[in-house]
Amino acid sequence: MAKIETGALTGSLEDYLETIYLLIRDRKVARVKDIAQARDVKMSSVTPAMHRLAELGFVVYRQREFIELTEKGEEVARKTMARHDLLVRFFHEFLRVSPENADKDACAIEHILSDETTEKLVRFFEFFRACPRASSDFLKTFHGCSVINPDVAECPERQCGFQKRGRRRGARRGVTSLASIEPGHECVIVQVTAKGAIRQRLIDMGMLPNTPVFVERKAPGGNPIWIKLKGFQLSLRKEEAAGVDVTV
Amino acid sequence: MLGSRKYSAPPGRRIVLIGNPNSGKTSIFNALTGAHQKVGNYPGVTVESKEGAYKFEGESFNVYDLPGTYSLTCYSPEERIARQEIMHPKPDAAVVVVDSTNLERNLYLLVQVMEMGANCILCLNMSDEARKAGQQIDVEQMSTLLGFPVVETVAHKKLGIDDLKDAIARSVSDPADPERLVLGDRLDQAISDVEPIVAGAQWRSLVKPFPRWAAIKLLEGDIEAIGWIQENCEDHAAILKHAQNVAEKLADSTGMHPGLYIADRRYGFAAGLLREARVTGMRADARKVSDWIDEVLCHRVLGLPFFLGAMYVIFWLTFTVGEYPMAWIEGGFDFLASWVNQIFDGDSFLRSLIVDGIIGGVGGVVVFLPNILLLYLGLAFLEDTGYMARSAFLMDNLLHRFGLHGKSFIPLITGFGCTVPGIMATRTLENERDRLTTMLILPLMSCGARLPIYMLLIPAFFPDELQAPMLWAIYIIGIVLAAGLAWLLRSTILAGEDAPFVMELPPYRMPTFKAMLSKMWERGRIYIRKAGTIILGLSIVLWALSTFPAKSDYAVDAEVAAGARLSDEEAAARRSAEDLEYSIAGRIGGVLEPVIAPMGFDWKIGTALFGSFAAKEVFVAQMGIIMSLGETGEESDSLRTTLRDEYSPLVAFCLMLFLLVATPCMATVAITRRESGKWKWAALQFGGLTALAYLLSVAVYQIGSLF
Repeated sequence: MAKIETGALTGSLEDYLETIYLLIRDRKVARVKDIAQARDVKMSSVTPAMHRLAELGFVVYRQREFIELTEKGEEVARKTMARHDLLVRFFHEFLRVSPENADKDACAIEHILSDETTEKLVRFFEFFRACPRASSDFLKTFHGCSVINPDVAECPERQCGFQKRGRRRGARRGVTSLASIEPGHECVIVQVTAKGAIRQRLIDMGMLPNTPVFVERKAPGGNPIWIKLKGFQLSLRKEEAAGVDVTV
Repeated sequence: MLGSRKYSAPPGRRIVLIGNPNSGKTSIFNALTGAHQKVGNYPGVTVESKEGAYKFEGESFNVYDLPGTYSLTCYSPEERIARQEIMHPKPDAAVVVVDSTNLERNLYLLVQVMEMGANCILCLNMSDEARKAGQQIDVEQMSTLLGFPVVETVAHKKLGIDDLKDAIARSVSDPADPERLVLGDRLDQAISDVEPIVAGAQWRSLVKPFPRWAAIKLLEGDIEAIGWIQENCEDHAAILKHAQNVAEKLADSTGMHPGLYIADRRYGFAAGLLREARVTGMRADARKVSDWIDEVLCHRVLGLPFFLGAMYVIFWLTFTVGEYPMAWIEGGFDFLASWVNQIFDGDSFLRSLIVDGIIGGVGGVVVFLPNILLLYLGLAFLEDTGYMARSAFLMDNLLHRFGLHGKSFIPLITGFGCTVPGIMATRTLENERDRLTTMLILPLMSCGARLPIYMLLIPAFFPDELQAPMLWAIYIIGIVLAAGLAWLLRSTILAGEDAPFVMELPPYRMPTFKAMLSKMWERGRIYIRKAGTIILGLSIVLWALSTFPAKSDYAVDAEVAAGARLSDEEAAARRSAEDLEYSIAGRIGGVLEPVIAPMGFDWKIGTALFGSFAAKEVFVAQMGIIMSLGETGEESDSLRTTLRDEYSPLVAFCLMLFLLVATPCMATVAITRRESGKWKWAALQFGGLTALAYLLSVAVYQIGSLF
């Protein structure tokens, strides 16, 4: 892959390339009108940008016609998008930033990141997803802590008293999801993070904050789980139990 | 939707029954109304409606059994219907049926019915069970606190039903004050902040929700309620803005989302009520026996083998116990046929119609009624004990992998009886995609109508020790194919997000034989009705198709005239065979033969398959007619022997395979169309399954023929 000279491209031009790419992908064609609509700007400010992009050889643009991406343009667009997606996922899935903010911040950062940083971030991300040690309790503990004390920027390890394996004495304040509780253990609901119909059903079933829940067993294959609360018994899938934060 | 339903009230008081699933609501309904019931559908949706009536002290009461729900939100069609029915037309009384052994959660629903301003009656069902577990309720005290009647009942023993009727009558003539509900200062304050502006609003529709309830729903952010306001109120923007402000203030002061806080307060009300009116609670070990059974039956490793074993035992019982009544029915029809034969001397079309067409056709199907009823009885046992819910728990992991839902399991297993009620049972699935997937693959659950076919073919072609495993294998093949197709559907045209699985597991209960029998009968009736209507009609049509046009010149006569040496019997048999080949059915079979030959089928099977498109069990009837017409009245020779002489076990297997997979019967296609709302899905089910069956049978026959 030849290195493309992108120096002349400003962030806003990169954004335009991305928009054109998405329009062509989803609607087959991109017109100035569509671009203006998609980016929520005036058509009169799109046109000069298109001229500039055409000058730089990223798009083919003639008056009153569809805009096409050159090979070079498409590659830059794709790269920008990949970087954008990566950042959104990192912010949202890892740091639990809200989707809106994750998207907004990614938009701002994506043009500035060097290829090297991007590359390293990808590797880190992949490693984290693949490595079983890193991905299990650690991240959940972090999420739990940031839910309880959103304002304290302390190391999750100290705050939750997350200690060596097997010693849970200090973990009392630690928050995990109901899905991670093993059969035979009791926990107390901290809050319901699930959304929509599942959230309503969980609440209607009495899964309210401060309710003790006992995990009775798991079905063959480990899913769904079987719990006891308020004197009755309930089964729910792990995916649903993941929307209930509990403390042990 | 608000009040859009046209309603002409029958004379009498309007009473609605509402309660959690598993609260015994339907038993209460049956005990109240006896045989006077009408089952139907709510307009526009596929949720079952049940209404009945009774008379008490000279006044008549119309009872409406609302769908079982845990709550009254807008998330499922059942809940939306339930609250619609409580809202309009306003019932004279709402009987809230609760499971006494699980009061706290059941009372959560009561609170919501009270919120709606309904004139409530609390029915503490299963009170014997709760008392046995050590729970004592001060009914007087509870009734005083609530301000409306509270009655203890044991529905399946009909205990307390008269008290309930009395309480309903009292309550109707002297309704309770709907403003009594207290949900705590902060929430009550917020509600009364919103209530006046809703109450004072100009409503375009005649129906207006109870203002207090509308206020609660707005605070909760109920999408449907917001929609009503937008549709029906001139100043909707101001109302919603105000409600939003109050909700935000409530969230600030409580630190909880308003929806969560309101739920919390409802549970708080239930807990407070129990603190005041419950003398002693349930013993902690009340569920000990049930839990102990679950330790074994729902064991992580042993659970599945046990479940498969239970299914096997049910099928085995169906097979063996069913044999005795089958023999009686068979004997009865034989006697009937010979009696008719005696009445009509000689050969006449009428005799042939009655004996060969009607008695042969309907008898051949009715004879399998014992099997089908036994299967339904077994399923009713699983259902009434509570094991059905466990099976959904055990099976969900597997079903979910193929894109189905644990709840798909109950419709699917009902499909083993008959596809039609199975498809109707898919209504319990909340998600449209789950429903459609389950519906489309349901015909692969080998239904009771196909059982006669296996019952005919398996003993005819396979030795005793292989019979039960063979039947089991056929069912398993259906299940495996269904799983594959479900996965295919969910990853292509029906891809999308999953619906919640959160499901209650009630304690095991000893089922009453009466309840099981009535359940069995409710479903078995569909089969008998089919035998009496569709099958009777088709038997006559198919008899006609295989009798007309009549042939006058027989090739065999020419041969005899030319000097061929044939006994009278042989000549008559040849003549019947020629008759059939000449008939319309024979011609259709003949046309089909080149198409079905790769599966090893001949024109006779083709003729019978033609009938099975109408209804699966017609295949047996049709085969009987064809074979008995092809013979010279040798009554002693059973159909099985004839079949064994004519076909190989491989053909028999391919035939069962084809009939298992192919072309759901007309009734199935019709019900799929009705329940899915589109011909598209019925056509997909019909075409797809037939194509699959053809490909499979051809492959099996062609490969099997190599050995």
